[in-house]
Amino acid sequence: MTRYAMVMDTRRCVGCDSCTIACKVWNELPLDVLFCPVLRDGPHGVYPHLHMNHTPLLCMHCAETPCVHACPTGASRQDADGIVWVEEKGCITCGACIAACPYNARHRDRQRGVVIKCDFCKDRVRDGEEPFCVKTCHQRARVFGDLDDKHGAVARLVNSLRTERLFEDIGTEPQVYYIMSKGGQG
Amino acid sequence: MPKVIDLRDPDIEVRKSMCYFCHTNCGVLAYVRDGEVVYIEGDPDHPTNAGGLCCRGNIALKHLDHPDRINKPLKRTGEKGANQWEEITWGQALDEIAERLAAIKDEYGAEAVATAGGTVRTDDWARRRFMNLFGSPNSFHNALLCWIPTFMIETAISGWSPFLSDMENSRVAVIWGANPGASTLPAMRGLTDLHEKGLKLICIDPRFTETAAHADLWLPIRPGADLALALAWINVIIDEELYDAGFVEDWCYGFKELVEHVEQFTPEWAAPLTWLDPELIRESARMYATNTPGNIQWGTSLDQQGKPSGAAIHARAILRAITGNIDCPGGDLMPGPSMEYTVDEELEANEYLPEEQRAKQLGSEAFKLCSWPGYRLISDIAREYWGKAPTAEWMCEANAPAVFRAILTEDPYPIRALLVAATNPVNSYGNSREVLEALKKVDFLVTNEYWMTSAALYSDYVLPIAGALERPVVHNNYGCAASIVTGERAVYPLHERGTDYWFWQGLGLRLGQGEELWPWANEEEAYFDIVEPLGFEVDDYNGFVREVGFYFPKPEYYRYKEEGFFTRTGRVELYSTVLEELGYPPLPQYCGPVENEVEHPELAEEYPLALSTAGGFMPFHHSEEFNIKELRYLRHDPYMEINPATAARLGIEDGDWCWVETLRGRIRQRANVTNAVHEKVVLVQRGWWYPERKEICGDDPFGVLESNANVLTATAEEHCDPISGTWANRGLLCRVYKAEEGGLS
Repeated sequence: MTRYAMVMDTRRCVGCDSCTIACKVWNELPLDVLFCPVLRDGPHGVYPHLHMNHTPLLCMHCAETPCVHACPTGASRQDADGIVWVEEKGCITCGACIAACPYNARHRDRQRGVVIKCDFCKDRVRDGEEPFCVKTCHQRARVFGDLDDKHGAVARLVNSLRTERLFEDIGTEPQVYYIMSKGGQG
Repeated sequence: MPKVIDLRDPDIEVRKSMCYFCHTNCGVLAYVRDGEVVYIEGDPDHPTNAGGLCCRGNIALKHLDHPDRINKPLKRTGEKGANQWEEITWGQALDEIAERLAAIKDEYGAEAVATAGGTVRTDDWARRRFMNLFGSPNSFHNALLCWIPTFMIETAISGWSPFLSDMENSRVAVIWGANPGASTLPAMRGLTDLHEKGLKLICIDPRFTETAAHADLWLPIRPGADLALALAWINVIIDEELYDAGFVEDWCYGFKELVEHVEQFTPEWAAPLTWLDPELIRESARMYATNTPGNIQWGTSLDQQGKPSGAAIHARAILRAITGNIDCPGGDLMPGPSMEYTVDEELEANEYLPEEQRAKQLGSEAFKLCSWPGYRLISDIAREYWGKAPTAEWMCEANAPAVFRAILTEDPYPIRALLVAATNPVNSYGNSREVLEALKKVDFLVTNEYWMTSAALYSDYVLPIAGALERPVVHNNYGCAASIVTGERAVYPLHERGTDYWFWQGLGLRLGQGEELWPWANEEEAYFDIVEPLGFEVDDYNGFVREVGFYFPKPEYYRYKEEGFFTRTGRVELYSTVLEELGYPPLPQYCGPVENEVEHPELAEEYPLALSTAGGFMPFHHSEEFNIKELRYLRHDPYMEINPATAARLGIEDGDWCWVETLRGRIRQRANVTNAVHEKVVLVQRGWWYPERKEICGDDPFGVLESNANVLTATAEEHCDPISGTWANRGLLCRVYKAEEGGLS
């Protein structure tokens, strides 16, 4: 089986927004929509002893998908490889999935009247390419691959390093794993 | 949602182009179908970016097709600044411009024509070639802000600037006032990789930057106080005997004089000047000096401090030498000019500029090193040893503030024409109000541009210029390194856009410079002359790009052991005979930041905060990309950084619009209240203008004076570095106050 997942190495992320813009430009997102913003957390501490972290975001492609369960028409779907996406012709823009998503990963495309979201660039991925956000990252802070491929980079990182997932306690089983940074000089 | 493009379509051709939304020049694969670029991506095989692309690189197609691009030559029809234009052909434009330049030359002399350049997206050798053949010495760039004082001072002392860090073998890297984490991302990737393997990083910066957050030591220095820190590091390294005694004995000139000179510069002396704890100064000096081999990274911060710049650069260069971190594995290597391909200087036709015209170069009497007097000395020495000289464009220029002042005052002689390429001088040169006045006043102004800007607005002619995908690009570190990286054009210039090479060649031919002097029909022919001597079996330039692409000679170490250093003494001149001959102190003398609380307590009472305009930030580059809406969406307003305690005292809350004011003027930016900066520091973002304000009104077109950091900077002769002439972007005093409701009052 294939189970797509992403590892975010926040030790390497510098918050340059390259992923944000690559995703936005190449997926031709509406001006007010970002699928993968990068959150700057800090600097925290007492000057001059500071630390700062960056947290790149995107759809978590959860194993337990509140958004898919919330969809009344079946337009929100999850494929066997874990990719969560919207079949646009079935979407009535009711917004139930937007309300259900704890990660704020779903957005209204007001012009076209559909809900849009990150789909891990599924057409590229199934064609053997990386998602745009991964390909563009100079820092190699985003690693994408098949978690079930036990020799692959994603499985190696997830299993050999301590990682965290966002809102892990609410039971969504997100498939984006964060290697946390100390973010400062220590 | 995206257009689906099948990149395997046999009708799609892949071109190996290079980005130039900054100097890094990342490789870009451009997919072209029927003359249209349908997709781009980072070139995974490129030696610089290995497939990565930053924000700026990703918007290349938005830039190519942007609705605001100027696509035909424009001739002014209304009053200057009225924004009334007639579209004409390139032929007509070049004919009329050439005629006007010839008339100015007849009446006032060739020196009355000056050119302003910008950051690299042009063939600067061609511009210099035109100016030399025309007879004017008054070519200039933002060179003085951008590493050129560093290059010239380091070359004066050690025979060539040791600016290539041998990173793989280094144990420590000093990042001195640079932030690759927000500017040169491929460099940041290299630093991050090596840091994971144990490389130590020391980051010197008034701001807790993206890079500082990854460093082992952060030195939050007072803006502009770098000279005091460098002198104190030398003091610690000598006092604690951490220097490389063998190297100093055999290969340094003037160590004894240096020892006596720096005795006074203890960390305790430097502490109140730099606002750094003396123990942190000691600890960082030890970290650099004991983790040999180590390197000091390329950067431009010391070039931008005005008066203390030259001495600070000199002191930093001494640090490399006394620790033996020069021309050795893991140290800073001196590439020299390439012996294997044609360097820029060989294309510049410098020999055509008569001696009496060289003597007229504006600013060269006051500021000797980066103009004809210093360049002559350094290029003579370089020619003697290397057989080739550094490029004159960049290294030997008129002093930009002196040119703008000559336009306004006609002193020492009038400048009647200014030809502008790859820059908006109002954003990018110091003291913007004066620059804008000069552009309004100059008799004849021609701008090569992508869009209408405040500089283009006052022009007599605006020529539409091709972007990166529309022209080939060669990256060779201004001819200062022996490596070369090349890219081909994805498409020929769209619409009626042209290139700067067309412009200079077209003008040159019309002014009788002769076809034999402009033998290249296009960039590809000229660039083939550059790369052909490398001897690869290719038929033309594009063949070189596709088959070879780049050339990095194997690094050479310890070249000095056989030949000595390429200076007159054969050693690294801690005590510089070149600076001495030019009338400057041979050892770095301390002087404070241009405006500071120690020497100017009365000024500091009125303007109590230390200002840096160093804020280069993603996703913009200088004043570029402010009109790309996908990028502007991320950073729609300008922000200045201010410490929470200071903001509270001034009644400023996060996000408030504030005025930042110096003796030169004031600008407004919003407050980013953050403990990334010291309580007494304010750091403003640079580059800002508002291209969306298309209704031109009043004296501030596109709001170019409203939030532009250069309104605050200092270019008066007494503020400039006496050695190089660079002006002060950092180490100034300012005050901050909340803007009234509604903003502009």
